[in-house]
Parts: sequence; structure tokens; C-alpha cells
Amino acid sequence: MKPTAKELKIIQRMQPGVITLSGFLGSDTRALNEVIADDAAQLNRLGKTAEEIAARMEYFTQKSWNSYLDGELVDGKYQVKTDVYRGKLPCPFGHIGVYRKALTTLTNTANGLSVTWTSLNTHMIGSHGFFEGEGSPFHLDPQILVRALFE
Amino acid sequence: MLATIFKDIGALTAISGLLAVVLVLAERIFNNYGQCKININGKRDIEVKGGNNLLASLSDKQIYLPSACGGRGSCGACKCKVLEGGGPLLPTEKPFLSKAELAAGVRLSCQIKVKSDIAVEIPDSIFNIRRFDATIAEIIDYTHDTKGITFVLEPGESIDFKAGQYVQLLTEPYAKVRQRVSRAYSISSKPEDKDRLQLIIRLVPEGICTTWVHQYLKVGDKVSFTGPYGDFYLRDTDADILFVAGGSGKAPIKSILEHLEVVGTQRKMTYFFGARTLKDLYLTEEMRALEKVFPDFHYEPVLSQPAPDDNWSGKTGYVMRHFPDVIRDPQNTEAYLCGSPGMIDAVIKALTGLGVAKDKIYYDSFG
Repeated sequence: MKPTAKELKIIQRMQPGVITLSGFLGSDTRALNEVIADDAAQLNRLGKTAEEIAARMEYFTQKSWNSYLDGELVDGKYQVKTDVYRGKLPCPFGHIGVYRKALTTLTNTANGLSVTWTSLNTHMIGSHGFFEGEGSPFHLDPQILVRALFE
Repeated sequence: MLATIFKDIGALTAISGLLAVVLVLAERIFNNYGQCKININGKRDIEVKGGNNLLASLSDKQIYLPSACGGRGSCGACKCKVLEGGGPLLPTEKPFLSKAELAAGVRLSCQIKVKSDIAVEIPDSIFNIRRFDATIAEIIDYTHDTKGITFVLEPGESIDFKAGQYVQLLTEPYAKVRQRVSRAYSISSKPEDKDRLQLIIRLVPEGICTTWVHQYLKVGDKVSFTGPYGDFYLRDTDADILFVAGGSGKAPIKSILEHLEVVGTQRKMTYFFGARTLKDLYLTEEMRALEKVFPDFHYEPVLSQPAPDDNWSGKTGYVMRHFPDVIRDPQNTEAYLCGSPGMIDAVIKALTGLGVAKDKIYYDSFG
């Protein structure tokens, strides 16, 4: 399906060097709506919604907030640390607001899985169902993410 | 048959061409707003070409309102009061404006298209903000991910700023980056050095500006920035001072201390710099040297997780636990904080818990 003018604008903002250095689409050859639809289908199979995942990511980010240097062991098995850098980024979907340049790294000590996300990841997953294209520096695989966050 | 097809194609081409001409004419007629006047503070008028947004129109006339998103309408920093004109408030502006601001006519300048004459109110401090061209004179590696960069202004140029303020560095296109972006960095040198300034810049993963600074800029390169901005600066009182910083948050505190070194002070000052390990510390010798300059100044680097081979014998843990040892009178203490929002939140909580008044805690938060 041909992208609409609005989608073309979003895709343009997702290109390297517009909002972030490498952009949000990586080496993915699929159309933006296909990337989102494929991830939505995978979430369906996993029995989770994008909103649930974003809420869980935000929960861990908030928990690690006060341990700003060393991180925090949350709920006995999730080692979480958030690094904040100066500045904020806008959402490529054109959503109102800006998002902290914050990197949260979570290690699930029970299954050994480790994932890193940005504040923008959390927003894009929760509001747009977008986990970034494959090959993008902050692409998140829904399956790994669900296992790291919920197991 | 073939003749009919050619006839139809010809007719379609003619119609398309006619429509294109109509569109071009409509664009010229309806989007031509001519010259518009922007009245500033009821004192002076500037003339601009209509059709651009207010932020860009002012910027073209060297009036630089702060903006963190480059006019995308997503940061809410470019507020100014519109007294007349500007059209109706847009839905894109509302989330950034408080009830009081809405009532006072505050708008986002990047969202207002200047289509006719407009009257605005701009704080006087904005008129000190200018665009500067400079040359990189020195690049110092402070840590594995933090550099200090000194910029020398063009001959004859000088900058007036308060220690603690920041500038917005403008990038040039490089590698895959086609657009110019601007990013805010605190000035780390003293305001008495009017022909130059230093910034301390930490590499941000995937950051457009910090990657440019860390991997592409070299001594001798030309750069531009606007400034100075910000209301984080030292208050002129006799109160004891507690400085707290982490990471590149050292920059504005360094500027303040170097300024005090020039003007002199008798104030009791303690500076806590929080880091994880020894490799995250920098400028330690320079800060320690200031202990000999001021009559009552102590620099306290604090490591939260010193590595075994750091052989660290200094303070450990988080900085907050050491506050009770140095605050002698909470009612007569000012705090100046610069770092991550997590650090700022934790430090404010600790300080107010110890009795330091919230309105005496000044901070520049990264987030």
C-alpha cells in the first residue's frame, strides 16, 4: 500500500541524521506500516499488548530513577539502571512533547536476558506500537523484550 | 483509435498543465503576505517577509528565543507573549501552556505564522542573546566520554554572560546528517574571558551533535552558536554555598568557581562531585587547587562504586549522605545543582529534609 503524505513525513523524520544519528528504521526493508503490523502480530501471539509492555518499561525506569548512578535491583530479580544525558528528543510520529535522552538497561537475573531502551522507545511502543526497524541501534525485539520484562 | 488516445492524452496533459498554473498562481496570491511588522515591547518595529513562523522571523533579525527542538513545536521552549495578531491558538500549543500563560496571551513562537502585523512582548534578557562564529582552539579529553572544547570568537567579538549560563551549539551537516541541529551546553569557562568560551560535552549514544563534536570536530574548525541562555547563575548573597554536580554537570560550577576566583569571595563553599568510579572523575587537580585560592572551599569527589583497582580512599556512596557533615546553618545555605534529573530529585529531597529552603536550591537539570 502506498504511504500517505502523513506517513511519508513520519518516515522522513525517521531517517538517519534527522532526530538521531542512525534514525529509527535501521536496515529494515519493510514499509513502516508492515514493521508495526508484524510486531503487533507477534505481540498477539505472545499475549501482550504494546501498552502493557510500555507500562512495564516505564515502571522499571521509574524504579531505577533515584539510584541514578548504580542502578537498582527491582522485585528481587531485575537489575535496572538508567543513564540520563543532557537534552530531549521529539517523537518522529509528530506527537506533542519531547522525551528525555535516558537509557535504561534491565537485566533479568533469572533468565539472563538484558535489554536497553530509551524514553522515546517507551513512548513509541506505548503510543504507536513501534519497536523500531531491524538493525536500528535501539530496535527492540518484542519476544526478547517480553521475556526480559515479564518472566 | 490511436488518434482518439492521443487526443485524450493531450486533453489530460492540457488540463494538468492548467491546474498546475492555477496552483502556482494561487500559491503566489494566497500565500503572499508581503512585508509584515513585528512590534516588540511597544518600543520598536521590525519588518519581516510574511509567511514564516515567528521564531524564524525573529531569528532572521538576530533575536533568538530559546528552542530545543528547532521549531518543531515539540519542546515548548520558544514561548513569548503575543499582544496583537498571531491568529487563533493552535491545538499544538495548548499542552505547553499553563492556565496563567494562556490568560496572559503567551504563545509558542514556532507555531505562529506571521501573516500580518503582530505585537509581541519579549524579556530584555533575550536581546543579549546573539549568534557567534568561533574557531576551535583546544580539545581536551577529560574522560573516556567527555571532552572540553574551547572556542575563540571572531576577532573583535566578545560575549557577555553570567557564570552558569549555557549556549546552543549549531552543527554543520556531516556524514548522513543533512540538517543542522542546535543543542544546549553549559559554559564551563569564566565570564571574564570575553573572547572565548569552553564547553564540556559528554558523548550521547546516537547523539547528532555530540557525535559531531567527539568524532568530527578538530582544532581550527569553524563553528557557530547562539547564547547566552538560562537562569542558572550564582546569587549575590553571603550565604554558604553547596555545589553538587555529576558528569558534564561540572561545567557551570567550574564557570562559577573560576568567576569567584577573579572577583574573590569569603563565602563558605563545599563542592560535591558524584561519580561511579575513578575513570568518571576529571579536573580533580584543578578543583583541589581552588582550595588554596578561597579561604573556605572544599572539593569532595564522591564515588558510588569505586573499582578495586581504583585504590580510592575518598568519600563513597551517594553525595547526599555527606551533606550533614558540611551544612552548618541550613537557613543560611544556598545550593547549586547540575546533573541528571534523578540526582537533582534526590539531592533536593535530602537538602529540604535537612532544612534548606526550596527557593534557595537552584538547579540545571539534564532532563
